[in-house]
Amino acid sequence: MIKFHLNGREVETDAPPTARLIDVLRDEFALIGSKEGCGDGECGACSVFVNTLVQNSCLIPIGAIERAEILTIDGFSQTEQFQVLSECYSEAGAVQCGFCIPGMVMASAALLSKNPHPTEEEIREGISGNLCRCTGYNMIVDATRLAAKKGEGLW
Amino acid sequence: MGTVLSYRLEDLEQTIAQLSREDCQIMAGGTDLMVQHKSPMGAPARFDKPVIFIDHLKELKQIYQVNHDLHIGACCTYSEMLEHPLIPSIFKIAIKQIAAPAIRNRGTLGGNICNASPAGDTLPLLYIFNAQIRLRSSKGERVVEIQDFIQGPRRVDRLKEEIVTEIILPEMQADRFVFEKVANRRADAIAKISFAGSMRLDEGRVGDVRFAFGAVGPTIIRSLAIEQKLKGEAFPLDPKIIDEVAADFDQIINPIDDHRSTAAYRKTVALRLLRHFLETM
Repeated sequence: MIKFHLNGREVETDAPPTARLIDVLRDEFALIGSKEGCGDGECGACSVFVNTLVQNSCLIPIGAIERAEILTIDGFSQTEQFQVLSECYSEAGAVQCGFCIPGMVMASAALLSKNPHPTEEEIREGISGNLCRCTGYNMIVDATRLAAKKGEGLW
Repeated sequence: MGTVLSYRLEDLEQTIAQLSREDCQIMAGGTDLMVQHKSPMGAPARFDKPVIFIDHLKELKQIYQVNHDLHIGACCTYSEMLEHPLIPSIFKIAIKQIAAPAIRNRGTLGGNICNASPAGDTLPLLYIFNAQIRLRSSKGERVVEIQDFIQGPRRVDRLKEEIVTEIILPEMQADRFVFEKVANRRADAIAKISFAGSMRLDEGRVGDVRFAFGAVGPTIIRSLAIEQKLKGEAFPLDPKIIDEVAADFDQIINPIDDHRSTAAYRKTVALRLLRHFLETM
């Protein structure tokens, strides 16, 4: 049994230790906000926070996260920070098909929590591990910049 | 289904004891291994031996200086190195070109070395720093030079009961460091060609020069003999000498065609990176 904290709750799983966190989240806990895009750590759609650090859940074996704090987009969506990001993504027109957005929002949040006033270059670096095939990224950069301003003091 | 037995032990001592009893697959961040051992349809990653997780071991996460050597714990992540004041700035410049924040929060220096990819991002710099790899087992400890430790693609000089504990970087003075990575995308890309170089001038002459290429041969390519030839030469270098060095390297770099690039492209760009490095200061 592997015990960890998931969106603030203590949980346990009997999944094999080399099962990927993305699969355990989606299949066992029905948290389907995190998406699997590439399964190789190149697209960022599966991004979650592990002990406050953004990581690709498709690369994490469940056995390595014993006692860790996992926050997925599903849990993050209950926060004030998410509300701001959600409004700003929508205002900037940053969402088209939406598949990359859970990961993008996690990447934006990870950046802002470390650097509440990022430059454009820093925003592009912050979301560089996340692929979006619709928007061309500019609107996502705008949304993140807007969230920095609107969420002043939150990050 | 392969075996699913795994270990995640309390400390380094217990981990080493387990390695002395059983041949295990050591896993640090897992950013390479979880891709290499991926199963179809979201089934657990498959390994043919028990997996031993080490990324939580505090003993492998220290960064400290002893005399003129910098010791970096094998399980330090790229992000931890980026944030640490003792890490040389050229490494930080290189790390910013490795992957993206999410992988930098998980991938480790020791993992990048033990994965021994010809395109391993940290390797060219580790070669020019004359990095040493410190290994421990229940029988004791040894230190190996990086160019001896890495023997070929995915092949390293590690016995099955040993674990890499630290990477040691001897202090290095240079007027200029260069790190170049050529890839399809700025983030999360595997290098087509990578290059690291350093130069120190003593009164207008080359005092110390080192350079190494990644992804143009089975291991990183560095030639001490060619570097030696440049020592004492007046800088800026005579174009004839640069031609000679480029011709020498033309002989020893041996890139391949693969899905990322062609041998011809790799060779052309590698030699241009070398020329650019030797011509500019």
